[in-house]
Amino acid sequence: MTKLAKRLWPDTVASRAILILVAALLAFHLLGYWAYRVGVENLATAGQDRGLAERIVSIKRAIASLPQAPERDRVAHDLSSASLEVHWSKVSLVLGTAPMTERTRAMEARLKELAPELAAESFRVGFADDGALAAGEANAYKHVMLVSVRLDDGSWVNFSSSALGASQHLDWGLTAIMICFAVAIVVVALLLLRWATRPLRDLAEAAERFSLDQAPQPLPETGPVEVRWAARAFNTMRERIRNLVTERMQAMAAVSHDLRTPITRLRLRSEFLEDDATRTLIDADLGEMEAMIDSTLDYLRGGTSSEPLRPVDLASVIETIVDEHVDQGHRVSLVGLNSAPVQGRVLSLKRAASNIIGNAIKYGQTAKVTITDAGDSFAVLVEDEGPGIAEIDRERVFHPFVRLEESRGRQTGGSGLGLTIALAIARSHDGSIALENRAKGGLRVTLSLPKLERS
Amino acid sequence: MDPAPAATTADDHGHILVVDDDPQIRLLVARFLQRHGYQVTGAPDGRAMLEALAHSAIDLIVLDLMLPGRSGVELCREVRATSQVPIVMLTARTEESDRITGLEGGADDYVTKPFSPRELLARIRALLRRVRAGQGATAAQASAIVSFDGWLMDLRRRELQSPAGTLIDLSTGEFDLLVAFVEHANRVLSREALMQFAKARMSDDPFDRTIDVQISRLRRKLEADSRGGQLIKTVRGAGYLFASQIDHQRGQPA
Repeated sequence: MTKLAKRLWPDTVASRAILILVAALLAFHLLGYWAYRVGVENLATAGQDRGLAERIVSIKRAIASLPQAPERDRVAHDLSSASLEVHWSKVSLVLGTAPMTERTRAMEARLKELAPELAAESFRVGFADDGALAAGEANAYKHVMLVSVRLDDGSWVNFSSSALGASQHLDWGLTAIMICFAVAIVVVALLLLRWATRPLRDLAEAAERFSLDQAPQPLPETGPVEVRWAARAFNTMRERIRNLVTERMQAMAAVSHDLRTPITRLRLRSEFLEDDATRTLIDADLGEMEAMIDSTLDYLRGGTSSEPLRPVDLASVIETIVDEHVDQGHRVSLVGLNSAPVQGRVLSLKRAASNIIGNAIKYGQTAKVTITDAGDSFAVLVEDEGPGIAEIDRERVFHPFVRLEESRGRQTGGSGLGLTIALAIARSHDGSIALENRAKGGLRVTLSLPKLERS
Repeated sequence: MDPAPAATTADDHGHILVVDDDPQIRLLVARFLQRHGYQVTGAPDGRAMLEALAHSAIDLIVLDLMLPGRSGVELCREVRATSQVPIVMLTARTEESDRITGLEGGADDYVTKPFSPRELLARIRALLRRVRAGQGATAAQASAIVSFDGWLMDLRRRELQSPAGTLIDLSTGEFDLLVAFVEHANRVLSREALMQFAKARMSDDPFDRTIDVQISRLRRKLEADSRGGQLIKTVRGAGYLFASQIDHQRGQPA
């Protein structure tokens, strides 16, 4: 239930504004219609009552001037009309005990005001449905106003007017026109609102696209003043974040870079050690440090490099890496295409592929590399026989400095940047990296890069 | 690799100028090279380097790319304008642009920093051996770009481009092998001869894999082009033959 309410609840600025507009329009129309009806009715009733009162007074005078009963009856009949029936009788049709209502009192006052001579005489006003009539006749004379005026001789002239109980029928034509207007106004308002909230949507989209890797265009500071403010604030914030990140990266890059000089010195100094075994160990440690500095710098570079993009045979890059591992005695095999032209940077691609293949050997003992044609792209599949990666960790391993075997100690070395760098490089080539566990055990890493478009 | 100076080879003599702004590195490199039989002079910057060049006979320069004042590339160009003395450039490892600018500035070889002293020694030995063998100091003296059957080989950048215009990645050993083939095109080369050529460049390489493996790898890469696999022919019992018309040209690759 709440879910439905949540879904129906207008969520966008435009829909909320429309809702408010519709509510306001509806209220305006209803109030206006009501005010109109009341005004017209009052006017009409006042006019009718005045005419009625005048006729009642003149008919009463005419009948009072006739002395004979049969003539009075005939004249009463003659003076009757569709809206006002007149009867002469000895008794009043309106019961003297009838309760006075708001309307009878108003009618009485009006009659007295219009015909001052009536005031002196006795007359009764009543409505059929107000219980002015005896119960039996009440149904037949519903909505009929009755006025009885006593003549000097004690007889009564009875008037019954059906026009006075005017029915409250709705004017459907008018209602239809108003509904049409309302719909038209809402439609136009909707279009205008979509136009007015467009800068907001643009702002949201730009904020979503925001990334530090590329250099996105600053948001145009246009639209209504609030949106301009928001856009300006967004641009300022983005600039600040960029500066912050750049500064940090420069600091980190400077440190990494400067470490190279002492490492070079250490390498040279180790050459003068008499103890060969120690020298070998120191060399290995220095090698590891170098690798860490290299990967940190690569990571900071975020997949970009000064190298230009150009047509590169991905297969030859993979072959070089695989051959190197074979020479080092690793269990690596390569099958598949021997030509896979892509648009790329050789050093970056080499880095990405050797990180992936290196991981397979490090954690999965073997690497079975396959280069295949995957439609629009070339796919390099690297399969190992290691433990694989649990579903929940597959996203996490791409994060910088995340090393899954952390709990088991740093036996395998590495900085936790290998896959991060590989992914950044793949993305900078419009490619992707996917991880999946193989049915037979082990991990399959798929590096996909779009094929070179031959012009 | 050879801790005892007695084990130095015939190539281990000559006067080497080491240009690096870090005094410690200068000193350590000097000590290391002296140990291997070389005479070493150090220079902290370009001015000292040019002075040393003017006053003594230098056989080889080890030049740091990142120098205060005038950069290594600038100095390299200046030296090249007047002399063909071999230059080994020290560059930052991950900056591809450094390598390119270094080599295009006229350096003959490069070692990335932080370098292993033994790698530096190997490069120096190989370079000196080539110079003394009279091959000319470098590829710089030969044409920068060689073409065969639509393939383009940039000797300076050490890059191979297929007839389709795609860059083919080659290992150092494979590239050296291809250079040897191109330099001796349409001639039968024995395994031993190829080994010699390849070793001349990469004497540090533990050459335990056979030349045949190297050649099959090179062939596979050349197969990226449909006719590429036919370039290197096996001559039964004699060795290999690179069958193609070689064109030399100077200048920039397309």
